[in-house]
Amino acid sequence: MRNAIRIGLLLAPGVGLVLAFMGAVLYRAVAQAFGLYDFSGTSDGLSLAHWQDVLTTKRFWRAFQWSAYIAASSAVIAVALAYPIALWLRKPFRGSLILSAMLKAPLLVPGLVAAFLLVNVISYHGFVNEFLVWAGVWAEPRRMQNDSNGFAIIGLQVWKQMPFAFLLLSGAVQAIPDPVLNAAQDLGAGKFARFRKIILPLTTKAMQAALVLIFIGAAGDFSFQTVAGPPSVNSMASYMASLQGSEGDWNGAAVVAVMLMALSLFGAIGLTALVQLITRTLGRLA
Amino acid sequence: MLRKLMTTTLACALMAGPAIAYDLTEMSWDEIVDEAKAEGELTWYVWYFQPEFRQAVKPFEEQYGIIVNIPDVSSGDDALNKVLAEAGRETGDIDIIALGGQAGNRIDVEAVFLGPILPLLPEADRLSDEAEGVNWQGYGVKYWGNQTGMAYDANRVDPETLPQTLADLEAWIEANPYQLGFNYENGGSGPSFIHNVARNVLGITPDSVVDEVPDLVSVYDWFNSREDKFGITASNADSLTRLNSGEFLIVPAWEDMLFGLIRKNEVGDHIEFYIPEWGMNGGGNVIAIPKNAPRKAAALLFAAWLTSAETQTALNGVFGSAPANTAADDSNALVPNDQRANSRVWSAPLSDRDVVPGFIENVVQD
Repeated sequence: MRNAIRIGLLLAPGVGLVLAFMGAVLYRAVAQAFGLYDFSGTSDGLSLAHWQDVLTTKRFWRAFQWSAYIAASSAVIAVALAYPIALWLRKPFRGSLILSAMLKAPLLVPGLVAAFLLVNVISYHGFVNEFLVWAGVWAEPRRMQNDSNGFAIIGLQVWKQMPFAFLLLSGAVQAIPDPVLNAAQDLGAGKFARFRKIILPLTTKAMQAALVLIFIGAAGDFSFQTVAGPPSVNSMASYMASLQGSEGDWNGAAVVAVMLMALSLFGAIGLTALVQLITRTLGRLA
Repeated sequence: MLRKLMTTTLACALMAGPAIAYDLTEMSWDEIVDEAKAEGELTWYVWYFQPEFRQAVKPFEEQYGIIVNIPDVSSGDDALNKVLAEAGRETGDIDIIALGGQAGNRIDVEAVFLGPILPLLPEADRLSDEAEGVNWQGYGVKYWGNQTGMAYDANRVDPETLPQTLADLEAWIEANPYQLGFNYENGGSGPSFIHNVARNVLGITPDSVVDEVPDLVSVYDWFNSREDKFGITASNADSLTRLNSGEFLIVPAWEDMLFGLIRKNEVGDHIEFYIPEWGMNGGGNVIAIPKNAPRKAAALLFAAWLTSAETQTALNGVFGSAPANTAADDSNALVPNDQRANSRVWSAPLSDRDVVPGFIENVVQD
């Protein structure tokens, strides 16, 4: 008992601060969403009116679906690209160190810089359009900026997040001992069998972590959406900013914030479960 | 360590001093000027053209020896939120603030601002406390007039063929698909266009009396039936950037913003501007002094200087803004004076706030 108290006291400065800061933010967001706190006016007391106002708009649900689509696509594509590269670079070879460093370069470039660069390159009279018109591929420039499918945002997310997935996955694949893979090969396991029966189960946790972290980051995206996203649809974060900025609706923005946290939580749980399911299914295949 | 902390806290408390106790209404203008000079500096919250305003206020600084601090403020709403957030403090950070005219509808001006300040200004009879259809009751004074209109690429559009009426616009869009672009948020030029198209579709003229918001389905139908013939842009600036790059032929824009961008060579001078007969909204910004401003005399002197005929003429030359002082010269504007007759008010008849949210929900999200 005394030991437990001592450990608790020793942990209190760190854990307590984390809990206090997280708790304060969560409390503010949730309280504001339920009308218990109003930044720019007098609180009306506990109310579901703000939820009703926000959740009955098409704009909110389009933003919700859009953020889920962008986050899930970005996470899956980034991990799908990082996996083979991590496997390829598992054993060092001439130039692998430079290649590995170059793959991590996007971590050093702020996302906003990349977004502006991309928009410049693909704009109506940007490099891509000018080049393709000059080369005679297109008769006239095409509108690629702020595409309605969100390909530019997904591309930016993958570019920015893939090195992160690569870092997590390369650590996991490098930790697999060679004798294990050699033994499997000696027992007749082919490349695909080794991948699904040894590599995949042993790297599942890293893959789940990569998927979840990328999903949460991309679901809360503001800058890519604002610069390169289609103006006719919002991400959850840009919708929050719009509600507060254009309409001064702090309570509505708080409702969106709570729903964004819910999307992050349930999206993360969903992706984790999906990876588990796929790993088990592949493992059971003959 | 603790002693140092206590000493610093005490020093800060003493330096902050008590709230200023003088009453501007009881002072002569000379006394106000002397007090302002003694205060020595002021902080002006203005959310746009900050680098340009830092240059534009230099004559004031040189004339009175009072430094004008213009901090970076991201938007008018952010500035307003700061005023509201610190309204409970005895002494705030803001001496004088610029606000859009319609902000007066969203706050209790008597509770938040010092005043009425309009009667205290030497050129009060040439000034107004009305902006964007909102009466600021003397607590805010208009210092900036601005106008939305249509910017067009004069290299590719003959001014004679520019659409003037709703029927012209319909024909123009048919003849020039996807050559019109406009924003629905992040700036008021697109919302002004949406608002005035709605008024025309509904047959609302400036003299109409609208007691309740009419059914807007015909407005949504007007836009939805042409949704593949116009482009939605991200903001005021995005509209002008894409017009300048040749992607569009015509976009809604703010006169002062376009003036500034042409001046800085961000937009070519082939981009010209007109106010169509179907009407586009004109607006105005006011300045107001928070009740808890730390340097009220300096703020009032600055308000007097900013709204003076001389400064208003200079602002028209630098920014293309419409002067708010009747004695000022507006010959640098982008449009001839007769087009100002096409200017409309944001709030009536039928406020833009009654139209634009429905447009977003039923046209943009449809």
